[in-house]
Parts: sequence; C-alpha cells; structure tokens
Amino acid sequence: MNVVVTPAMLGQVVISGILSGALYAMVALGLALIFGVMRIINVAHGPLLMLGAYATYFLSTALGINPYLTVPVSMAMLFVVGVLLERTLVFRVVDAPELSSLLLTFGVSIALVNLAQLLFTSDLRSVEYLTGAWVVGPFALSKSRVVAFVFAGALTGLAFLFLGRTKLGKAIRATSQSREVAMVCGIDVQRIHLVTFGLAAALAAAGGALIAVIVAIQPEMGQIWTFKSFLVIVLGGAGNYPGALLGGILLGLIEQVASLFLTTQLSEVVAYVLLVAILLVRPTGLLGGRQT
Amino acid sequence: MSQRVALAAPVAVALALAAYPVVASGYEVRATLQIFMWIVLAGSWNLISGLTGYVSFGHVAFFGAGAYAGAILISKAGWPWLAAALVGGGAAVLLALVIGYPCLRLKGPYFAIAMLGLNEVLRALVSYFEGLTGGGNGLSLPTLDATVPIYYVMGLTAVAVTVLTYLIITSRFGLRLMTIREDEVAAEAMGIDTARHKLYAFLLSAAGPGIAGALTARDQGYIEPISVFPLATTITMIVMVLFGGKGTVWGPVLGAVVLFVAQEVVWARYPYVHPLLFGALIVAVVLLMPRGVLGILQVRYRLPRTI
Amino acid sequence: MTTKALAALITAIGVLAGGLPAAAQGPIRIGASLSLTGTYAKLGNYQNEGYKLCAKQANEHGGLLGRKIEFVVYDDQSAPSTAVRLYEKLITEDKVDAVIGPYSSPVTEASANVTEKYKKVMVTPLAATTSIFKRPPDKKRYYLFMVISPAEAYLEGLVDMAAKRGLKTIAIVNEDTLFAKAAGDGAAELANKRGMQVVFREGYPKGNQDFSAILTKIRAANPEVLAASTYFDDAIAITRQMKELNVNPKMYGITVGGDLPEFYDLLKQNAEYITGATQWETTLPYPGNREFSDAYKKEFGREPVYHSAAGYAGCVIYLEAVKRAGTLDSDKVRDVLLKLEMKTAFGDFKVDQDGFQTAHKMVTTQWQDGKKVIVWPDELANGKLRFPTPPWNQR
Repeated sequence: MNVVVTPAMLGQVVISGILSGALYAMVALGLALIFGVMRIINVAHGPLLMLGAYATYFLSTALGINPYLTVPVSMAMLFVVGVLLERTLVFRVVDAPELSSLLLTFGVSIALVNLAQLLFTSDLRSVEYLTGAWVVGPFALSKSRVVAFVFAGALTGLAFLFLGRTKLGKAIRATSQSREVAMVCGIDVQRIHLVTFGLAAALAAAGGALIAVIVAIQPEMGQIWTFKSFLVIVLGGAGNYPGALLGGILLGLIEQVASLFLTTQLSEVVAYVLLVAILLVRPTGLLGGRQT
Repeated sequence: MSQRVALAAPVAVALALAAYPVVASGYEVRATLQIFMWIVLAGSWNLISGLTGYVSFGHVAFFGAGAYAGAILISKAGWPWLAAALVGGGAAVLLALVIGYPCLRLKGPYFAIAMLGLNEVLRALVSYFEGLTGGGNGLSLPTLDATVPIYYVMGLTAVAVTVLTYLIITSRFGLRLMTIREDEVAAEAMGIDTARHKLYAFLLSAAGPGIAGALTARDQGYIEPISVFPLATTITMIVMVLFGGKGTVWGPVLGAVVLFVAQEVVWARYPYVHPLLFGALIVAVVLLMPRGVLGILQVRYRLPRTI
Repeated sequence: MTTKALAALITAIGVLAGGLPAAAQGPIRIGASLSLTGTYAKLGNYQNEGYKLCAKQANEHGGLLGRKIEFVVYDDQSAPSTAVRLYEKLITEDKVDAVIGPYSSPVTEASANVTEKYKKVMVTPLAATTSIFKRPPDKKRYYLFMVISPAEAYLEGLVDMAAKRGLKTIAIVNEDTLFAKAAGDGAAELANKRGMQVVFREGYPKGNQDFSAILTKIRAANPEVLAASTYFDDAIAITRQMKELNVNPKMYGITVGGDLPEFYDLLKQNAEYITGATQWETTLPYPGNREFSDAYKKEFGREPVYHSAAGYAGCVIYLEAVKRAGTLDSDKVRDVLLKLEMKTAFGDFKVDQDGFQTAHKMVTTQWQDGKKVIVWPDELANGKLRFPTPPWNQR
C-alpha cells in the first residue's frame, strides 16, 4: 500500500515470476497435450500433481532418497496412474460433449483429493531440503525455486524433443492436428490417447515433486493448478505446445507484477480479465493456434 | 394417464407444501427451503446450459452477486428483505448482461472456464471492496426471524423457474435454443439470431440464483465471500440437472429433491468419505445415465418432450 | 403452544407424583455442529476431543443434575450455511437439551442466529471475533457466551514486547477472513497506541501460497517488526519465503500456527526466534491444567493444543453454570453465566453484559532450541525473549 516501487523491487518480482513461470509452463504442457489430442480439459490435472508431490514426500522422507532424484520415480508412478485413469474412465468421454468430460474429471478430482485425505491425512507435510536463497546484488534467488526452474526447463525441453523427434511424439502431434487423418495414416489413436494421458500425468507429477521442496504440501494443494494451467494454455494458444512455454512465463510475470503494484487479491482479477480479453480478441492465443 | 391428473398432481403437491410450515419443525421447514433453493439453482442452470449447451461452470456467481446485493441493501440501506431479494435478482441479471455479452461468444470449454474465472473474480472483488461488502469480515444482517415467509417466497421462485422452463421449452424461442444446442452453425444458417437468443437465455438463468442468493443471505443472517461463491455449489446444481435430465422441465426438480435428500440423510452419516461418494456419483451419472432419469424415461416410454 | 402446555402438564403430574428417579429421565443431550471435515477439519476435531473428554469426566463424577451427559455432534464441513441447518435440526428435530458452540468465527456468526431464535444459551469456545458479541442494539445477542480472548489480542504480546524494546516500525499482513483480519486490525491499533508506525499493511486471499510480491514490498518497507495474522498453511509459506527472499525484521511474530508442534516439525531450525500467539499452553499454572493434559494424553495419545483445551473449558463452564442454576432453563443459566467468575484448566472466565470475554489472557511463545517457551506476559512467562532475531544467513 504505502510502499514506493523501486526498480530493484520490480527486478525481484520479475525474477520470482520467471522462476514460477517455468513450473507453470511444464505443468500446463501436460494439460495442453490432453486438450490438444483428446479435446478434454482434465480437471483432475491438479490432483495428479498433488499425488506426485506426495510420492516425492514419501520417497524422500521414508526411504531417505534425495528429493530431486525422486522426480523421475514420481513421474513414472503417475504415468501409470494416468494410463489407468484413461483406460478405465476418461476414454469413455472423449467424444462426448464437453460437459461430460468436465464433470467426469471433476468427479475424479474430488475423489482423489478425498482419498489423499484418508490415506495421508490433511496434515501439512514438507520436504526440508533446500531452503534459503542465493543473494546476488539486490536480488534474492530462492535456491529451491532456481533448481525447480532448471528441472522444469530441462523436462519441458525433453518433452519437446520427444514430441518433435520420436515417432511416437510425431504421432501425438499428428493426432492432435487431425484425428481422422492420423487414423488414415495408420496411427493407433487409442494408444496415442493412452500415452498422452500418461505423459500429461507425469508432467504434473514432476511439477508436484518440485513444488514439494518449495512449499508445504497437503491434499487440497492441486486444484488451483488446474485453473492456472488452463490460463497458461489460453495465453499461449490451445493446441500450440510451444505456446505453453510463453504462457507459463507470462502468467508468472503477470501474477507477480500485479501483486506488486496492486494487491495479491487483485492479481487474480487481472489474470482473469486478461484471459477473457485474449479469448475474445485472439481466440487462438498469443502465438496463434495449432501449429505444432 | 390423463392430462387432468398430470395437472392435478403438481397442484396437490403445491398445496401440501404451502400448508407444511404449520405442522413442520423448524428444521423441516429449513430443509424444505433448501430444496426450493436447489430447484431454483438447478432449474436456472438448466435454462442456459440444458437448453443451449453452453456449460456455465460458474453459475454460483449469480447466487453470490444476489446475496451481496440483497445483504447490502438490507444492512446498509435498511430495505425490507422482499424488495432486496427482487433487486438481488435484478443485480444478477445486470451482471449476466455485462458478462454474457462478451463471454457467450466463447465456445465450448472456453465459455465454461471463463465462467469459472468470473466466479473467482467476483469473490476477489467482493473481498477487495470492503467498505461496501465488509471484505473478508463478511456482512452481518439485523436479527430477524423470517424463515417461514422466506420459505414461501423461495417456493414461489422455484415454481416460477419451473413454469418458465415449461413455457420456454414449449415455445418457438425454446425450439431455437435447442437448435443452437444441436448445431449452432446450422441455427445461424437458418436465420436464428444466435447471439441474442443465447443472451436472453443467459439473462433468464441469472435471475433465479440472484433472488435465491438474497433470500439465503437474509435467512442466514450472515454471509462472507468464501461461503457464497463456492465452486461446489455450481457442481452440485449441474449434477442435479444431469441426474434428473437436462433440457427437461421436471429434471432439475427431481434431481434437486433426490440429491438433497440423499445428501442430508445418507451422506451426512459418513462425513469423512462424503467427497469420495459424491465423486463416484458424478462419474456414475456421467457414464451410465448422461440423459438423466427423465431422459431415460422419455426414450423408453415415449413421453412428451415437455415433461 | 399446545405441546408446550401438555409437556408442562406432564411435568407437573410427574412432580406431584413424587418425582421420577433422576436416571429414568435419560441423559442430558448437548448438541453441536463441528467442522469435522473441510477447511477447519483439523482444529474442529481437536475441539471435539475437548468436548468428549469433558463429557467423559463429568459422567464419571455423577453427571449433571443427576443425569448422564451425551453429546450429539454433526459435521458442518466448515460451511456456515450447513451449520445453520444443523443447529436448527439439533434444536427442533433432535430436541437436544442444550447446545454448545461450533468451530471458528464465521460458523459461529451464522449459527448464533438460530440459537438466539430458540433462546438457547450457547457457550461458544472457539469464536474469537469481537464483532460476534459486540453488536448494535438491533442486532444484540443475549444467549451467546465467549470463552477465549478476542482476536484483537493475538498480537498484543508481540507489539508490547517490541514497543518495550524501543522498536518504531511494524508491517502487518493478514489472511482476509473474519478472524485473521480482526487480529491484524487489533495489532495496527495497538501499535498506533504505543507510538509505532505501521509502514505496511496488506491482506491476502485464503489459500494463498505465493507471498513473493508481498514480501518484496515488506523488504522495501524495511520494518523492524513483522506481524502476520495467519492460520497455519500460510504461516509456513510466509516463513519459508521470508528466508528465500532474505527478509530480516528484528522481530517476527505470527498468530495461529506458531504454537502448534507441527510448526517446528515442518520448519525445523527455521522456526527459531519466531513468536506465536496462543490462548493456552500445557505448562501454564492454571488449576487442573496438569490433570487435564495428562487425561487428554491418555485418552487421545497426544498433547492437547489450545483448541482442545478451549473446547474442554467451554463445556466445563457450561456444566458449572447449569449446576449452579440447578436447571437447564436458558434464562436462569444465562443469569449465572453473566455473573460467573471461574478458573478452569484453560484459565480465567468472566464475561461482560454482552457475553464478551474479559478475564482470559493470551500468551506469546517463542521457539528456542526446538522448545516452545512462554515469553509474554511477564507473570506467566517461563523464559526470556531472544532478541533481536539474527539475519537468516547467521542462524
């Protein structure tokens, strides 16, 4: 309120924004893949992230594994969960009206959160591994966030390599451009859906694993991430996978800068107004749509 | 089944409900009042989403807007609650006008998420303008025991929403809305002014929740941002409509009654697994009976479209 | 009306017939709606345990008015609207003999309208917001009684200790909800009174986890004291991010959460020097406190926290008032409660004419080498404040 914003402060929040933006981008890429390939908004994306966070928590506290080494394990576990979810429930609503998939994944979402409450209790848990900051001039760089940034960048890069270079990745992109054409080309669309859903869950899990080192975790931590991820893919352009990267960083920056000049309450308002404005003016997102 | 019975049954039920507060306990009145509220909410959601196919994922926003408009008029301006409730409905319609004009141009999931965001934004704005709304402190209304009169007004609102649904479904306006639901491009090609039709349906769907919100605020005597804008309320109204049968007249009524009673009688005994049960129910409804109870009956027994 | 007359008639006949044996009347049923699930689940369950222990002990000592006590508890999912319906159900459907308070200020604020309507005395042990009790004449409540100290007092210890040490500037942040905001307002008012300058004040939405921007502003405002009016999750997040952003006030205090053992479990040595505010501690020298803590540990297998103790005390106070009144009649119990002065395991109880608590004392604790030490007020303290807080990199 009564604080004059200096360039150093602006610099600090820009750093914070970019650091969290990379995480947003990675998590949102998962949602974007599902949306692109299956035309579904997976409301359970955030709760899957929560499960990833718990996987890391238990692996690192119970087995004493370095939390960053648990990231691939947590991803693998959630890949399996994602595949199971797709095979049992989600595939049934792929071609249904959007209400069906929204509600179905919402039902899955609250069930997952409740299961987590029953199994893990609502107590906060935290992985105290890397706290504090590296101080560089007037700026403080949170250690855990910088590491998360590096991980998120690397994993997102790997995901793009997979999408761009491998046969399976190309098949995923082809399916997201046109399912009919993909089928004609002999792509097993069912299998693509399965892999996509698993991959998306793994990306969410990676986000959860990294977040577990940054903030304390609890069963309800995930829901907010579904909405944020959707914001990101709208900003970047749905179906445009590199757009998620831009969208993520942008959302991180918007949130932080708006919180700095206004209040944290109002930063939500800013993000939403922007969402609607972009949808109306440029429905294909800032980078334009569907050029994968 | 003659037409006379079809008409007589609802009238008999309405008369019974009108006499109910005389014999019922305080809790029974309040529980029935809640059922009325859910009929208003579910029926209103049905008007926009059941008929046009535009999924409003933030319909509780209109409930919250009505609650705040009503509560502010009652507590700050000393209005009688009935007038405040009507203005609450008006405020919700106004909000729908401002929001609907841009947002109804969005298609499919984009509209759903924009509505979800609207709800979050309203909550943030209400918290922010604390001079008027009390912010996070909420608003406390003067003490007044008006549960029974509110029961009647909420009941009348539920009847009004249901009759409105019937009138729309049997009208040309309703037919056009359903054409939009089936194929919006085709509807436009047929010369239907889709933007205007969607907007009208949207405005009508906002009035009921607005009135219900203001009545609820008065009855509870206290509101706060978190408790009048919960996503769970939107989801519950959607599931009620889906369960009963979307796009039908009686579907929302059926869904509201069955689900509320189930919630109150069965689920309240298992508080720790309540969300799990609700999640399972949602999944079951979506997968096993997407047309709802009435939808299934319509197909099986060739019932009229206007049930 | 007729049922009431009938009931009176039956009672009269019973009395004329020489009175029924007390046990044949069945138990006294006390109804409550508690947040067993939802946002406040953890704390609501603690409160429930306090009620349970109180009922168990009372029954072991012959019950109340010669009858056993039985609690009827429902879950309100932490939602005020559900609690309203549940109190209505308890009173009109289950016909409980008495009611007792729910968890949290918002839920109490809404439920009190129902209990007032039926003229039921409600001792509400976990509502700390002044505005629930201090109301204008047209909104006045007659049957509601407060047990814990008001929200505004939570940061009093921090402000008082800071002022005594000559600190001049304070930043205040709070979750934007009824209780947390009141605690923040209280701190601001006290600070002004003590000649301190509030250099920063901001609320944040419930559930917020990212405090980077707020803390960046606080770092720029460079206050000597940071007061955060929190629940628990946010207290953890703020503390961690203070370290990440290298925010170094000379004193840093929070409200709810700082006193819970989990706070130290989660933050480890980063919790050192942080002060928390609490209504009650196991170690306080109140009559019966040790016995309560021991019994609680035996019953539930862990240390009680203040929510359990307040629930326990609220129940004890209500039972005492009924005992002294000799009846469950609301108006008579109300008269007793208004005059009652009592010491429980939870501390002093005395209310003014609005049912507002005036005797109970808050304490301020500080984490010192993994132990929670009471540092304020002086008469209850069992240790000295460690001051000033060193910068993060020197801890």
